[in-house]
Amino acid sequence: MSINTEEMILNMGPQHPSTHGVFRLKLHVNGETITKAEPVMGYLHRGSEKLAEGFIYTQFIPYTDRLDYMNAMTNNYIYCAGVEKLLDWEIPERAEYLRIITMELNRIASHQLWWGTYLLDIGALSPFLYALRDRETVLDRLNEISGARMTFNYMRIGGVKWDAPDGWIEKVKESVKVLRENIAEYDELVTGNEIFQARTMNVGTLTKEQVINWGLSGPIARGSGVDIDIRKTEPYSIYDRFDFEVPVETKGDAYARYKVRIAELHQSLNIIEQACEQIPAEGDIIHKKGARIMMIKPPAAEAYTRAEASKGEIGVYVVSNGKTKPYRVKLRRPSFVNVSILQDMLVGESIQNVVAIFGSLDVVLGEVDA
Amino acid sequence: MFRLLKGFGITLNYFRKRKVTIQYPEEKVAMPERFRGIHRFFPDKCIVCDLCVKVCPTDVITLTGKKSEENPKKKIIDTYNIDFQGCILCDFCTEVCPTDAIVMTARFENLSSYNRSTHFKDMEWLTNNHAYGYYEESEAGPEAGSRGEVK
Repeated sequence: MSINTEEMILNMGPQHPSTHGVFRLKLHVNGETITKAEPVMGYLHRGSEKLAEGFIYTQFIPYTDRLDYMNAMTNNYIYCAGVEKLLDWEIPERAEYLRIITMELNRIASHQLWWGTYLLDIGALSPFLYALRDRETVLDRLNEISGARMTFNYMRIGGVKWDAPDGWIEKVKESVKVLRENIAEYDELVTGNEIFQARTMNVGTLTKEQVINWGLSGPIARGSGVDIDIRKTEPYSIYDRFDFEVPVETKGDAYARYKVRIAELHQSLNIIEQACEQIPAEGDIIHKKGARIMMIKPPAAEAYTRAEASKGEIGVYVVSNGKTKPYRVKLRRPSFVNVSILQDMLVGESIQNVVAIFGSLDVVLGEVDA
Repeated sequence: MFRLLKGFGITLNYFRKRKVTIQYPEEKVAMPERFRGIHRFFPDKCIVCDLCVKVCPTDVITLTGKKSEENPKKKIIDTYNIDFQGCILCDFCTEVCPTDAIVMTARFENLSSYNRSTHFKDMEWLTNNHAYGYYEESEAGPEAGSRGEVK
């Protein structure tokens, strides 16, 4: 015999700690089962796209830092790459390598923070401490080269702002060795843990069809067997020069997404190691016209570029009308697209799994609301 | 169950390893030379070119100049203010400055206060902002703020 209760609306957020920002989920529940879920977003909306229209091209770069503040380097890159496509500029070799190294370091920092906070959300405290300890190593390297720990503002249209300081490449090589050992520890600490497996296996399963229909990307898509990584399928920058694999899992549950991200950490370390070997010892770091940041004026045209951020496919659509300010900047933010799946995948789940599912999507609210 | 205990083993191992915690208010992390902290201003170097005002994305810098008494063709700085309520420490002002008159120090703290008006910092405050960071050592020499080579 089952007791039918009245449907109740449960508000999760906007200040729920597991959302790592301000995100509201309106859950319609029948007993403990969710019958309908409505994501409500916009609490962190700053109008970044509109702001871009009032800025000269370079001035918008610090604002891209503040979209996905966990992975700001790729945001920097993709905006600069979009404008470079309009300008049709050749980027100096050394700048490309510095971009790759910093982007991959940032991807590691982003995944590490996800690893720590996801486990914190589902009830394990100590992994958070391990994750932040290792993230500190990465942030120190990024701080040395860019002068900030999270809002780097490091890339410039046509190259990068600063060359690597003396001995920085060697320091990165050292850090890669340290990180490789520490990340191997993550596996022993958490991956095999029975409680963790029971909490994440067969939770929040996404089918391949769902992923494709909702346009999801990044580790979420790869966790469901969709083999797509823009670094491989459509190599931007100089990613075609490196030897790395794209980890794909087929089960599509939270545990599969977890395993994809852990495997990506190792692949990123591989890329950094190869880039540190291949980087030319010296050379220009910015296109000869790029250093005059007030004078950048692309011809009237439009361009779309995309890249693989730690959360998924990030894209920038820039329209220029031949003046010093962009006519329109459209940002395709992976977290915004990925979070939309919640209304589909939460139906039929129980309340205690909401945090485990939401955390496994790895969304950053700065990027959802832009 | 075995894997669970293995995890505990790792934690136990850390009892004999080095501590990584920094006791923040007492101990401070040394920020690298490029760190984009709170500004410092050198009035003697400023040529009142207005570039920092133009490049600032948040429009927080305001300045005025006056004619120099010794050389009427030259302009010198009269007032220079940064409103730290809106400053995002993006470093564009130091990037465009042709004479390195505005630089960023390694100072990252002690800017918060209880009212808004105290975030408005004038030229005197910005000039005397040398209590923190690497500018302290190089203060004696003529090369105070040798940031040019980093660029």
